[in-house]
Amino acid sequence: MDIEFSTADLAFQQDIQAFIKANLPKGMEMWTKRAEWFQALRDKGGWDVAKWPVEFGGPGFTPTQRYIFDMEMARNSTPPQIPFGVTMLAPILMNYGTKEQQDRFLPSIRDGSVNWCQGYSEPGAGSDLANLQTKAVLSADGSHYVVNGQKIWTTLAHIAHWMFCLVRTSSTGVKQEGITFLLIPMNDPGIEIKPIITLGGSHSVNEVYITDVKVPVADRIGEEGKGWTYAKGLLVHERTGLAGIQNSVLGLSKARKNALKVKVGDGTLMDVPAFRNKLGALEAELLALEFTELRSLASVSAGSDPGPESSIMKLKGTEIQQRISELNLEAAGVYAAAWGEQVGPGFARAATSAYLGTRATTIFGGASEVQKDVIAKNVLGLGS
Amino acid sequence: MDLSFTEEQNLLRDSVRKFVDSQYDISVRNKLSASPTGFSQEYWQQFADLGWLALPFSEEDGGIGGTPVDTMVLMEEFGRGLVLEPYLATVVMFGSAISMAGSDAQKATLLPAIMDGSLMASFAYAEAQSHHDLNNIETSAVAEGDGYVLNGTKCVVLNAQSAGKLLVSTRTSGASQDHDGITLFIVDAEASGIKRIDYPTVDGLRAADISFTDVRVSAADQVGELGKGYTIVASIANRAILALAAEAVGAMEVLYQDTIAYTKQRKQFDHPLSEFQVLKHRMTEMFMEHALAKSLCIKATMLETQGLETQGSAETQRTIHALKYLIGKSSRFVGQNAVQLHGGMGMTEELRVAHYFKRLMIIDSQFGNTDHHLERFVA
Repeated sequence: MDIEFSTADLAFQQDIQAFIKANLPKGMEMWTKRAEWFQALRDKGGWDVAKWPVEFGGPGFTPTQRYIFDMEMARNSTPPQIPFGVTMLAPILMNYGTKEQQDRFLPSIRDGSVNWCQGYSEPGAGSDLANLQTKAVLSADGSHYVVNGQKIWTTLAHIAHWMFCLVRTSSTGVKQEGITFLLIPMNDPGIEIKPIITLGGSHSVNEVYITDVKVPVADRIGEEGKGWTYAKGLLVHERTGLAGIQNSVLGLSKARKNALKVKVGDGTLMDVPAFRNKLGALEAELLALEFTELRSLASVSAGSDPGPESSIMKLKGTEIQQRISELNLEAAGVYAAAWGEQVGPGFARAATSAYLGTRATTIFGGASEVQKDVIAKNVLGLGS
Repeated sequence: MDLSFTEEQNLLRDSVRKFVDSQYDISVRNKLSASPTGFSQEYWQQFADLGWLALPFSEEDGGIGGTPVDTMVLMEEFGRGLVLEPYLATVVMFGSAISMAGSDAQKATLLPAIMDGSLMASFAYAEAQSHHDLNNIETSAVAEGDGYVLNGTKCVVLNAQSAGKLLVSTRTSGASQDHDGITLFIVDAEASGIKRIDYPTVDGLRAADISFTDVRVSAADQVGELGKGYTIVASIANRAILALAAEAVGAMEVLYQDTIAYTKQRKQFDHPLSEFQVLKHRMTEMFMEHALAKSLCIKATMLETQGLETQGSAETQRTIHALKYLIGKSSRFVGQNAVQLHGGMGMTEELRVAHYFKRLMIIDSQFGNTDHHLERFVA
C-alpha cells in the first residue's frame, strides 16, 4: 500500500496546475473567455474532452490521471463544461452510433457550437423512467418516425439545438424493451418549450412539448427498442459524476472560512459548539467519502470493477452537498432572508440560492430513495 | 498510489479469517469469556506460533517488521470474531510503547517474552477524574533512592488480571492536567503495594481497577524520558485507536451482514422482512456507514504507516481524530439498527448480534469517544 501518487502522476498533477495558472481566465473573464479556455485545453492534447478515448481525440488518461485532472479542475473552480453533449451523449454515439453519426455530431459537440439537452423525464416517468410514454411511430415507408409526447425537467432545453431523447416505439412486452433512442432538432416547428422557474428563482429546466415531429430513421441511435440499454449505461455514468466530492471539499473549506468571518459575541461562529460540531462531522464524513472514491479508483486501476462501495457515491455525495449548503445558510444569519439586493456579506447571497438549488441534487439522476433501492437490490441482494 | 494489499497481508488475512471461522464460533467465545482467565491460553500460544504476536515488532527486535496496515488486517478479522485474547493490551498498547520508547535492555527482555507468548501485559492510563483526557494524571511517582515510589489508582485497566507487567502513566511533576511532567514506568504486576479489583466488562472482556500504594520501581523501569511521557502516551493511543477502529470495522461488517441474512429468512405479514422498503433502506444505510468507516480506517492507517519514517504529521493526527469520531458514530448506527431489525431476537444473549453490539458500544468509550475526538478534529 502506498498513499502517495506515483512520481509520474505527481508530475502530471504539476503539469495541470501549471496549465491552470497560465490559462485560467480571472474574475469576470471567467464568463467572457470561456471559449479561449476550452481551446487552450484542446491544444494541450485533448484535455477539453478528458473522458474521451484516444481514437476520438481524447487524451487517453488512465483512471488515476482522470481523477487528478477532475480534482484539479474542481479545486481551481475552472469553467464548468455543459455535460449533455460532451459527457452524456458522446459516449453513446461512440459506443452505439454509426460512423456517419459520429462524424456528423461529435465535432460540434466538442467545439461547443451545438448545444444538447436530454429528453428523458416525463410527467409520468420520473424515478420510474421506463414508464415513459412519448410515442414514436414509424412511417409506412420506413423512412422516419413521427413523435408525439411531452418531456419535463429538460435542463437548458431553451438554449439547445438538439435533444437526445428516449421514446416509446412499442407498448407490448416489458416496458424497458419498447424504448428507442432518437436525436431531435429543437428548431422543429413541432417543438414547444415552456420554462419552469425553480424555487431558487432561476430558469434552467423546462417542459418540452413534442407534436408530430418527424425524425429520420438515420437519426436513431442503434437498434429500435434498445434505447433503454444504451441510456442505462449513461445513467450509471451520470450518477458517479454527481457526487461532486472535490467541489464539496472546496465548498466545505469555504464554509469554514465564512464561519470564521461571522462574529458571534466576542468570538466567531466557529466558537459556537453546535455549529462547529456540525461542520466537523461533515468534514470527517467527507474525508471518508473522498477516500472511498479513491478505493474505487484503485480497484478500477487494478483492472477490477469499482467495487460495491462506489454505489454510495451519489447518495452520500449529494447529501453532503446539501449539508454544506445548510452550514452556509446558517452562517448567513439574518441575511439568509435578503433576496435580489446587494446587501449583507457576499457569501450570504450565494448561500441562500445554493441552499435552494441544492435541493435538486438528491432528486435528479435517480432520487436518493431510488438509489437506496438499487443498492439494496444490486449490492446487498435484498429481494423485491 | 496503491491501495492493494501485499501477498503477505492477504495471507495474514486468510489465516486469521480461517482461525476465526473455524475456531471462534460465538458459543466458543461465550464459553471462553466465562472461563476463569476470560480467554484461551491455548489460542494465545497458537497466536505466538503463527507469528501474530511478533507482527508489529521490528526485525532487529526479533519481530516480523509489520506496519500498522498489517495490524489493521489482523484486527479487522479479530473484530469479525470478537476475539477475546489480550492482543490489544499486550501487543498493541504495551508492545508498541516498548518498541517505540523502551531502552535496549527493556526491549531485549520484554519483547521476546511477548512474542513467544510467555508475557502478557497491559497499559494503565485511565484515572477516575480523567474522563478521556490522557494528560489528566494524578497517580504520582516520587524519586527515592535510585528509583521511584508510585501512589494512586488506575481504572478499567484492560486484561490486568492476566498481565505480568503493567505500563503505568504517572505524574513526576506539574499539575494534574499538565502535558509536561508525565513519566511512564513498567511495574511488575505482582509488586508489593498493588491491589487489584478484577471484573468482567460488559462486552465480555476483563478489566481491573488497580491501586498503587508505595509501589517501588527502579530507574531502569522508566520508559522514555523523565517528564516527557505524554508524547508516548499519545502515540500508544493512536496505535490503539487504529487497532480498535479496524476491530470495529470487522464487527460492523458482521452486524450488517447478519441483519441482511436474518431479514431474508424472518417472515411477518406473509413476507420476508427483507422485502419491506423501510428495512431495505435502513440496511443500505448500515452498509454505507460501514463502507465509509472502513475507508477512513484504511486512510488513517496508511498515513500512520507512512509517518513511521517522518514521525507523523498534523494530517495523520487529524485523520485519527476523524476516524475515532466516525467509528463511534457508525458503530452506534449499525449496532442499534442491527438490534432493531432483529426485533426481539436482537435483545437476546442467544444471537451473536447482542455481543457485537456490546463490543462496539465499548470501543467508543476507549481512548476517547466521538465527542472527544470531534472536538479535537474540528479545532
